Formats: sequence, structure tokens, C-alpha cells
Amino acid sequence: MSRGLFPTQEIGSLARPRWQLLGQRGEPLDAKARDEFEKWNARLGFATPTDTSAAALLGSRSRQVDAGSVKDLGALFGLRFFETAGLDRVYDGEARRIEMYEHPIRQMKGFQFLGHVRSFDNKYYLKAAATGEVKLEQPYHLDEFDFVKAHAVKEPKLPITGPYTLADWSYNEYYLGREKGWKNRAVRRRAQREFVVEIARRAIRPTLQALIERGCRVIQIDEPAAGTHPDEADLVAEGFNAATDGLDAEFSMHICFSDYRSLFPALLEAKRCRQWAWEFANRDGDGRDGYEVLKMFQEYGDTREIGLGVLDVHRDEVERPELVRDRIERAAKILGDPARIWVNPDCGLRTRTLSIAYQKLENMVAGARLARTGFDNPR
Amino acid sequence: MKIHASLTGPFPRPEPLVAATRDLDRGRTTQESVDELFARTENEVVAIERRLGLEPLTGGYLRWADVFRPFAETWPGFTVGPVTRWFETNTFYRQPILHAPPERTPGALASQLPVVPRTPDAGKAKVILPGPYTFAGLLDNRSGETLEALTHRLGRLLGEEVKELRTLGYAVFQFQEPLLVVKPPKGPRAEAVSAAYRAIAEAANGATTIVWTYFGDAAPAFPLLAKLPVGVIGVDLAETDATSLSDGIDRRAIGLGCLDPRTTLVEEAYDVAAIVRKVQEKLHPSAIWLGPGGPLDLLPWEPAVRKLHVLPAAIQAVNAGADR
Repeated sequence: MSRGLFPTQEIGSLARPRWQLLGQRGEPLDAKARDEFEKWNARLGFATPTDTSAAALLGSRSRQVDAGSVKDLGALFGLRFFETAGLDRVYDGEARRIEMYEHPIRQMKGFQFLGHVRSFDNKYYLKAAATGEVKLEQPYHLDEFDFVKAHAVKEPKLPITGPYTLADWSYNEYYLGREKGWKNRAVRRRAQREFVVEIARRAIRPTLQALIERGCRVIQIDEPAAGTHPDEADLVAEGFNAATDGLDAEFSMHICFSDYRSLFPALLEAKRCRQWAWEFANRDGDGRDGYEVLKMFQEYGDTREIGLGVLDVHRDEVERPELVRDRIERAAKILGDPARIWVNPDCGLRTRTLSIAYQKLENMVAGARLARTGFDNPR
Repeated sequence: MKIHASLTGPFPRPEPLVAATRDLDRGRTTQESVDELFARTENEVVAIERRLGLEPLTGGYLRWADVFRPFAETWPGFTVGPVTRWFETNTFYRQPILHAPPERTPGALASQLPVVPRTPDAGKAKVILPGPYTFAGLLDNRSGETLEALTHRLGRLLGEEVKELRTLGYAVFQFQEPLLVVKPPKGPRAEAVSAAYRAIAEAANGATTIVWTYFGDAAPAFPLLAKLPVGVIGVDLAETDATSLSDGIDRRAIGLGCLDPRTTLVEEAYDVAAIVRKVQEKLHPSAIWLGPGGPLDLLPWEPAVRKLHVLPAAIQAVNAGADR
């Protein structure tokens, strides 16, 4: 597909609308939720006047709508949200997903959920242990993708949690348990490598194959854990390769809030990765140049595409289009090739209200347009 | 030679407490009811510690959001900053931001220590505090002080805390120092660490002081660790080959972090006993303190409880001279 400079793309999940949350629970929409539904529908047109689910929700008949239909509406909302904001590559805002770990693990055999671990304060995550050989119960995200494919006007891009992150967020009982003697660092690393590769080969790869067979062409592999252990960047790459080798799709790797320098050069061995979609805006400003790390790609001669994070997803302040343009221009200057840049938020915008998220996306699109104009007509 | 066993850091919250604290954040329950559950759970942790012969008692430090928070929230000069990764784990702390040279608030820490282990005898409880080097190194220092000066100052302030807690009957103080082995200090920084612990030692006035290191190999830092004026030096056996440690601890006690909180696999008591015997033969410590190598709250409650049973079993295996 031929594109102009600086195409834009989504990168992750959106905040769940109140009407969807209430609707999924079979609760009637309160005034706030109804108002939210109507306001956004006027702008995005995600529900047609003949949509019976929408009519039932708005008519205080939530109990008559099954949760699946509400999720369909939520997915349409997410899709139109991105499309109307003007993005070139879109998904459904991960409207059907609760989180990115538990769902994939529940599609696999060989895992047992053990309980919650505190992340920070009163936030927790459920953690599983691999107690047997990893096997895929059934490929996942397929129905979700089918729905997006059927309804997307723009090109869809599917996000899926990567093998390294699934392994890092689990306890490795089975593969580590096969090692004899005291489990020192070298032993743990050997067992972790096996674990990552097994998840990649036995679970992620067949899921990717099934998605590709259904027409999925652009796939983002999310590896938020990639920077957790700096000496395991090679395992991130190895897992990526084991999952994607020989598969016919455009793959990107999304990493955020990590010390990227520690990933070089080992991560660059991820052969099938066509695009590095990383967070930069969060570390830009207050005297810091968040895009300086791009020089590492030049240093190592890596010329792949960059998914350039230009929106800070942790701040309500909406980036002006000029700031977005400046960030794109700075990145283009460092990379020496503007054609390598895709423009996106740092990460999923679910941390922000829908209203702020939309404004940010609109300005991102406008900023990309300004940058495009600048390159067509150099100042 | 005496072998002790005790908890060395925060214990996980059990599922009912996870649910209650989540509900609290969502406004579905009251602070009073959650406080009551905290107290009950603290009792439960102490009961487990007693049943397994773990002493001094800790109560699990269940209420603390992270090791720095009681200080960041009560000491002048600090504000509570962004969520920040806790070393190479998928857990996080809120980074303290230091805007001016810190001061302490008398009485503030004592009120935040777990209640049950000090009832009725604080002498049987262990106070777990951040080490001055880790504290200074992990905060966002906007105070204008150098890392060296700040490390020393925090040592003096923590020493004052120790002094105050001594008057309440506490007699064992453990300092969490993962940064000492993850990023060992050199030159003036190492001198500042020594000065900080001298200030703590002066304030301790005969109390047992422990430096507990984890998340890194202690061998490179061991020459410095061995010189610190503390009673016990703890190392993480998942990272450190204890038999490779150089001598020089002058018959002081060594702590062996023999439970790895990064895995749910339960260690073999015989393997732990074998390491204990090797350390005895090589380093001739005055005592050995067994405990988790790092914070057990990297595990859910049930696996953490399972692991704790290894501690008394390992002591039994050592005493019985049992081999696999």
C-alpha cells in the first residue's frame, strides 16, 4: 500500500465508555452514560438508528442486551473513534479485552493461576505459574479480529501480547523445575529461554498463523516487559523470532517505559520485526530530549520503521499540532529518512478520558499533516 | 553456632486483603473495615512466624505501600513521586522526591510499624527500614546535596529513628540494601556508606543491626560489606555463591537469603543445609540468619507460606547433620 509521509496509527487500548461498562453488567444506563453514548454517537456514528442493541441500552432495557452485543458496540465505538480522529491504521481500542496477560494465558494449557501479586499501592495483578508443558488450547483474538476486519474502513492492526512478556509475568516452575540443583542465575536464564521459546512456538505462533489465515496483515507484538531484565534482551528477540519466523505479515514490536539503551544491540536480532513502536514523548521536555535514543538505531545501522510515540499518555495536557510536528521533524533528522516514521501515541490512551484521548489523537493527526507539508515545502 | 530464621521483608497480602484494599480504592468499603482486616492478617502472619519458629517477628509489613513511603509521607523535604520499577521486577514503588535536605519527624515511624509483633514485647520484633545507600540512590534528589552527603545524612536520620525505637524496646534493626550489590559504591560513595552505618551503629547502642542485600551478587561488594559496623550481613543466594565470598567478617553473623521470591518452586531444605555447612566451614561466622533472599511479596500468599516452611526444615537438617 503506498502512503504519504508520516502515516498515523493507534497503539493500544482506550478507556472503556461508561455505557459499555454498565451495559455489559446488564445495568440500566444512568443519565451520564446515556449522555456519553449520545454525544459520542453524534460525533462518531458508531451505532445506526436501526441498531436494536443501542436502542435497548438507551431505552433502559440493558437486561435485554447480551454482553457480547454490548462488546460489539464497544468495538465499533473504538474503531470509529480512531477512524474519525483521522488515523490510518486502527483497531477497536481493545474493547473486548480486560487486560493483556490473563486472557492469553487462559487460552493455554500448562498454566495454573496462583493468586495476586501487588504491583504498587493497592494495585495487583493475577499471576500464573507454568506447571506443565505449554500448549495452546485454541488460537485467540480471532473473533475479535473478524469483527474489526468486517467493520474497519481503515487498515486494521492487531495487538497481541508477546512471548517474553507472558513468560516474564509468569512463574516458570516447569522448565526451571527440570533443572537440577541450586537455581543460580545461569540456571534460571537457561530455563527462562526455554520457557519464552516454548510460549512463542506453541502458543503465539499458531495464534498468529490463524490470524493471518483470516486476513490479518499487520500485527503489533506487545513486549512491555522487554526492559525488565537488561541482560535478557536477546531472549525478547529470540521469542519474537520463534513466534514470527516465516510468517507472512507486517510485524512490529511495541515497548514502552523502558531503558531502551539496555536493549541494544541484542534486540535488533528480532529479524521479522519491521517496525519498532516505542514511547518517546513521556521522556521529552523539561530539558530532556526524548528522541535522542533514536541515535542508537543509526549507531547500529538499523534502518527499520519507527512507530514514533508523540503523545504522552500520562498527562492530560493535549499536545499542540506544532509540538507533534516538531517531534516528528526531530526524529526524521536523527533517522535521516522521514519515510521510516509512523506516528502514534506513546502507548494505549486508556489512562486518559475519552475526551482528552480524542483531542490528543486529532492533534496528532494534524501534527503529522503539518510535518508532511513541511517536508513537501521545506521551510 | 546459632542459626536464626526470620522474614527479611514485606510479606504478600492474602486474597481477602487484596479484595478489601481494591474495594477501598473503589469506595466500596470503609477504611475502618480494611484496618480491621489488616490487623487480623498481621496476627495471622505473626502466628505463622511463631509456628515456624521465625524470630524476631515482623508482622509482614502489610500496610506499607513500599519501603520508602512512611518516610516520604512524613519527613519534611519529601513528596511522593511517580511509580517507578523496583529493580528487575514487575513491581513498583513511588519514587520519593527530595526537595530540600531531609529532616525526620519524631514519632512518625513508630506509629507505622506493625502492631502485633511488638505486643507485648517489642524486643522480639524486627524493624525493617530502607538502608541509607539504597534510599539515597533511588530517590529523585532535587535537594542540592551530593549522593555522598545525602547517604551520610540519611544514615544519621535513620540512626535517630533507631535511637527513638530503642527507647520503645526494639532491639533488632534490618536495613534493606539491594542497591549496595546491584550498584556497589566505590571511593567517596563507599566512604559515605561506611559513615552512614557508623552513625547507625552509634545510635543502636548494642542493638542487633542487619544489612540485607539482594537482587545482586554480593561478592564484588563484600570487602565493603564486611567492614560495615553491623552485626549481620545478608546476601541473596539466588545471586551470590556464598562459598565464593572472601573471609573478613571477623566472626560476625552472616545472613543467607535462601528462599528465592522470584520463583514459586520451593527450595530443598537439604540444599540450603549444604550451603549453610559450607559457609560455616569457610567463613566461620558467629551466627547464621536464614531468610528470604528478597521481598517475599513478589509471590502470592500461598506460595510464600509454602516457602517459609523450608526455613525450620533447613535448620533441622543442619542440626541433624543430614545429607541428601
